[in-house]
Amino acid sequence: MSAVYGFTGKIARIDLSAGSVSIIEPQEEVYRKYLGGWALGMYFLFKEGLAEPDKDPLGPENMLQLLVGPVTGIAPNPRTAIVTKSPYGFNCITLCGGQGGANLKFAGWDGIQIVGKADKPVYIAVIDDHIEIRDATEFWGMGTEEAEMAMRKKVLAPIETSGSTLTESDLTKKWAKLRPPKNQGIGGKRLASTWVIGPAGENKVWFANMVTEGARAHGRYGSGAVAGAKNLKGIVVRGTKGQKFADKKKFLQIMGNIQKREGTSHFWRTYGTAGASVHEANIVGGYPIRNWQWESWADPRTVKTLSGPFVDQMSFVRKQACPGCALHCLYPARISSYNEMMDETITDMPDWEAMGMVGGNIGYLEAEGTDPGDPYGGTFEDMTENAAKTQYTTWFSDNTGMDFIEGGALLGLLMELRQRDLIEPADLDGIDLKWGDLNSVKAVLEKTVAGEGIGAVLARGTYETARYLSRKKENDEIMYYSMTGKRYAQPAHGARSNHDRNALDYVTVVRPCEHTGGGSKAFMKNPIDYDGAVNGQNFNAAVNSMVYCLFASGFWGDEGNVELVKAVTGWNDFDKKDFLKVGERAYALSRLFNLRSQNIKEPRKEWDSPDMFPARWFKEPLPTGPYKGKTAFNGDTAKLFDECLPQYWAQRGWSRDKGIPEEEKLKELGIAGIAGNIAAKLRS
Amino acid sequence: MADSNQDEQISELKNKFQQRVISRREFIRMLTALGISVSAGGIFMDMASATEKSGNSEAQSGYTIIFDPAKCTGCMACAIACAEKYMQEIAPEQARHTINLEFSRIRPMRFQFVDFVNVCQYCELIKWAEGTEQHPCEAVCPTGALHRVKKGEGRGGYTGMGYMTVDRDMCLGIDTCGRCLEVCEDQFGSGISFDPIEGKAQVCTRCGGDPECVKACPEEALQFIPVQVNGRYYANNPDHAAELLYKKMFNKERAL
Repeated sequence: MSAVYGFTGKIARIDLSAGSVSIIEPQEEVYRKYLGGWALGMYFLFKEGLAEPDKDPLGPENMLQLLVGPVTGIAPNPRTAIVTKSPYGFNCITLCGGQGGANLKFAGWDGIQIVGKADKPVYIAVIDDHIEIRDATEFWGMGTEEAEMAMRKKVLAPIETSGSTLTESDLTKKWAKLRPPKNQGIGGKRLASTWVIGPAGENKVWFANMVTEGARAHGRYGSGAVAGAKNLKGIVVRGTKGQKFADKKKFLQIMGNIQKREGTSHFWRTYGTAGASVHEANIVGGYPIRNWQWESWADPRTVKTLSGPFVDQMSFVRKQACPGCALHCLYPARISSYNEMMDETITDMPDWEAMGMVGGNIGYLEAEGTDPGDPYGGTFEDMTENAAKTQYTTWFSDNTGMDFIEGGALLGLLMELRQRDLIEPADLDGIDLKWGDLNSVKAVLEKTVAGEGIGAVLARGTYETARYLSRKKENDEIMYYSMTGKRYAQPAHGARSNHDRNALDYVTVVRPCEHTGGGSKAFMKNPIDYDGAVNGQNFNAAVNSMVYCLFASGFWGDEGNVELVKAVTGWNDFDKKDFLKVGERAYALSRLFNLRSQNIKEPRKEWDSPDMFPARWFKEPLPTGPYKGKTAFNGDTAKLFDECLPQYWAQRGWSRDKGIPEEEKLKELGIAGIAGNIAAKLRS
Repeated sequence: MADSNQDEQISELKNKFQQRVISRREFIRMLTALGISVSAGGIFMDMASATEKSGNSEAQSGYTIIFDPAKCTGCMACAIACAEKYMQEIAPEQARHTINLEFSRIRPMRFQFVDFVNVCQYCELIKWAEGTEQHPCEAVCPTGALHRVKKGEGRGGYTGMGYMTVDRDMCLGIDTCGRCLEVCEDQFGSGISFDPIEGKAQVCTRCGGDPECVKACPEEALQFIPVQVNGRYYANNPDHAAELLYKKMFNKERAL
């Protein structure tokens, strides 16, 4: 590629089977069309032929991609995207913050692609242009926190270390006497970044993830299992080349303005997403409570346990930011508890998804003997202990490298089945899993991580577990309690009140059941604003292709996305339409990928159908809260799936019968070449 | 909130500041008194024009940089500001389009849940204890490239606070030497870095008494304050310092 600013023009392709590294240099046109992250990753998945259903996500043929975008680097708000084929069979597009993306860019790479499978545990060390596949036997089995620190120690750039040149004559007598053993004193700096998997990834738990900086995870869709299947424990990157900008001054100016706006955000700068609990979720009826039996506590005192102010006062120690960001939305915390197992555990937050999925959803908040419809009967002491339980479960998930959204949904399912006597402790190898019981939660998660006994089933996630149990118990009712959309767990945003998320939102997002689709507000309008919804989705997909932070993108103001891309790349004719087109491409490719990779012939029956979504959304009215009595789409699934969904597809230029992007659309987007055949096959 | 009356007051303050009637510090203090936040944000805009600034009317002598680990978020603003300033000086050609943090003499390092801001601590050694009054890096430098500029001397715009600097023509570079790094990391800290182009040593000059990093910090975590006591006072490698921080903040020990 000719010199384009912003990008480095190089992607490393690492074959673990062969132990070889090659370099891909995409054309500038490719970068313009796909930017990076999500869209670029999908482009390569298609080129690799991974959309074909016979390609095993956990086989050596799958490709794990770690990608950045044009603005990733000095900041603002660099992130990384992992794009691969999920163990669940659909696409895995998952993003994460931290300093790693910047390091990868500084090392001179727009991404890393990993194929093949190593015959023993390895990690990949990237020091600028130099890439090594190294033995990771000593790190195998370690939790993510420990593995990350140990691995980073091993990677130093040449300018950080030198051979010993000091002689006694250089030193004073005192210094000579005090010298540490040779070379022991050198290497105290930590400038590399690391992504690692925990034991869950090693054991190929479907919802295992890759974690960086102890608590930041490429959370969903199972990237950790893909890495584990390749015997890849981690990736360490140290870059020393810096980042290039077409118009540096303008870039710094935009960045300054973004920071200034960020500085005014009380929400982010006070508790981060931990503030969402009381502030939003409990009010709009979107708090997952006991596997979504409730979405709002009758007594607002109950929810205070997991509110920003409470967890802050009880446990937050400091705050952490990604490069260039003034939102610092991650709050490292220290648990205080009377329970020795939990006490002194160092973790982060809980953030909103954790508060929902491993807080309310598994019954940690209510006092003994009460349910979410009752007045709160607990004391201050109960509140601290219950908040600690959520934090501890979050820490356990992070440290073993597991997604707590899928994990929380799985626990919620099992707990509700136990509540309704649909399963017995014997079905869980003797564990009596009751609402809010931390010890049994831990026991179940440990089994899941290790894949022992029932754990081997649980490791396949919520939907597969429900299917297994309904077959084992010969009871179809069990499927009713699987709170999954398209075989994947519903995150902590309710679909019934129509004030948090709309059911059509969950039905249309191409990353199954994602909560950051971007169309929420437009979907919740009456009548539905299809144009706004599609634009919102395209916008978020484009932001994820630019690999920018969705939180921080709220502070772009008018200059935002396009001006940033222009300042960095120098593409002066790049406009808002081009930007949204990137998202549209990402959407069309992901849709085709999902249908093809799961060999879906009749999407309306096999994929976009009511029975792929929780029946509870449509049948069970909300029992409490401001939206008491509401169901999703007023229970009208026919309207949702037969009327609204085709209309949404039409808005996108996709066929009304199957939701396949029309030939015209593919041509307009310039992706007919890579996806045209698959689309034609799906259409017929 | 900014009504017209306030705007007038601000522009008056600005004038005074530009005419050097009041110092930058006073300017900021007065703005704050008017209810204008000057802490978070806006730093990068300042940086863009940093190179156009002339002179330092109020550079401080005998001051050092300290950081508050509870306030620091590890956002790298300090490193970006430093890198931007010194890359312009060292490699102006490359700096036209590039920012490279390796040119920064101050580096936040992210350990598990703690961020440690690594910067030279200006060891002032006690002769009877150490055998020399020289800075350790200065003492082991075979060419005298790494040296202290006497108070009142030095380059224009710098107050000559007795700052440390590296004569790049004399420095042998990391490939053949690296003694300064070695002695520093062995026993004192890790205040030396090397530029990625020629591999020559870099050390914090405190910008001659008016450090960019302190101005850039959006969280007011960095301070430039007078410090008399030094020696091995702050001597710790980043990893050891981070372990201490971890112990202090989370009351638990961990290898980092």
